[in-house]
Amino acid sequence: MPAPRDVAIVGVHATKQGRNLGRSALSLMLEAFNGSLDDAGMTKNDVDGMIAFDFPAGTGAGTSLGEIAFQLDTPMRFISQFSGVPALLYAAAMIRDHVADVIAIPFGGSQDETDGATAAYTRPGYEFTEWTGSTTPAQMALQTRRHMALYGTTREQLAHCAMVLRNNAHINPEAVMFGRGPYTAQDVLDSRMIADPYTLLMCALVNDGGSCIIVTSADRAKDCRQLPVWVLAGGIGCYYTSYYSPPTLQPLETRGRMLDAFTRAGVTHDDIDFVTTYDHFASGVLMEYEAAGFCEVGEGGPFCMDHIGLDQRFPVSPDGGNIGYSHCINPYNLRIIEAVRQFRSDTPDLCPNSHLGEHTYDRTICRKVRDPKLAVACGPFTGAFSMSILAKA
Amino acid sequence: MPVEWAKPLPHPTALSQPFWDGTRQRELRLQRCTACATYRFPPLVLCRNCLSEDHEWVPTTGIGTLYSYVIQHRPATPAFIEDLPYVVAIVELDEGPLMLTNIVDCPFDDLNVGMRVAVTYVDASSDITLYPFTPAG
Repeated sequence: MPAPRDVAIVGVHATKQGRNLGRSALSLMLEAFNGSLDDAGMTKNDVDGMIAFDFPAGTGAGTSLGEIAFQLDTPMRFISQFSGVPALLYAAAMIRDHVADVIAIPFGGSQDETDGATAAYTRPGYEFTEWTGSTTPAQMALQTRRHMALYGTTREQLAHCAMVLRNNAHINPEAVMFGRGPYTAQDVLDSRMIADPYTLLMCALVNDGGSCIIVTSADRAKDCRQLPVWVLAGGIGCYYTSYYSPPTLQPLETRGRMLDAFTRAGVTHDDIDFVTTYDHFASGVLMEYEAAGFCEVGEGGPFCMDHIGLDQRFPVSPDGGNIGYSHCINPYNLRIIEAVRQFRSDTPDLCPNSHLGEHTYDRTICRKVRDPKLAVACGPFTGAFSMSILAKA
Repeated sequence: MPVEWAKPLPHPTALSQPFWDGTRQRELRLQRCTACATYRFPPLVLCRNCLSEDHEWVPTTGIGTLYSYVIQHRPATPAFIEDLPYVVAIVELDEGPLMLTNIVDCPFDDLNVGMRVAVTYVDASSDITLYPFTPAG
């Protein structure tokens, strides 16, 4: 039985994404918040819930129900702290239960406020991590090496995933890595070693950027400027705190939970048109196809070799993902925004009339998925995994 | 003992101090729950299995299995440059818990997930002794 179409994404906005934009995280967040409200045809006074790690504050009060209500000068009914898929699922639950009616999920990230190459939260001064010389890539590379040992996953399969994402970004004028390709898998393998098995081109770099998503009820969505994107179902599984606990493959155990989400959504994997994985590193792609149930656990490597290209059965992140489009310190929201923009044919690329929503499907210049109706958007595969099933109205 | 340890040193807490007291005495000590006998690491106030707060610090064999490893070709901080390339690893102790560590004195070609490894000790300061692992036997 199909899931009720009762909760919708009605507004999205991503600011310019790039390295060293010279703006504060809060400024980028505010631009994205305003942009997404404009996209929805709403104003700040429509918002009565917020899920954000911080909202323009500066008063020292931080993110609290009272502070958000004061700064927006409008009553608030729900706040929490998260981004992307988990935040979307929290929002959907609150809206279905009428706790709040319009929930914003804003984020802004700026390298000026970190140490540059990696997101600061990935490098805690923890007494059982720091002395080992572990780096951000090392933590996910430890998961990856375990996956290689247990299931026979290869460097070539990792390189293939990175190549597909980087080539998608190559033809996306909004991508941080626009025009840097095209790449072969061999180019990825030949780039310098960072944390074996990861080479440089298997890793996402950190950049600046803001993003925001507006979520509301089907009833309120009727008055919005854009057609809604329905939030059908999803799931979250959290096992440990990354960068503190030794990384494991436990988040693959969420797979059964994600299969249940497909049942609740009333769709099957075969109905899905594309997938926006959260690729902090190339391994994220193949592990998330496994955890989301597109293939068996351990089969992600071979699966990705012939399923994730733009003309293949389950294309991955046509914007180029975190590795190619943007890794704005916390790019969770961008995985959802790309899904929404594909549904709307709002996908800038090198097609002559892409700005009019006209696409050639020539894969050397076009990154538009053909007539997409259903997508799966993922959260990161770290000590946790999350997934949501989204449908075009 | 090195004159100066340039790399980051752990800052023990009241909870973790018995662990560091152990390494300084060449013992890998873990908390063991006195209610259900489950070992735990890193130090926690509760048993993950039964939630009891009652525990004792006991020496372990210091032996385990290589769970995963990565060969670092970039340093975590400039202080690690002299060590490059170095191995960051997870060891699954015979007593159960996973432990993030380094593998030392092992050719990279010999590294294998599943290989047996044993703890070794490195005095980094008068207070702190670190606990990298090395191939067992």
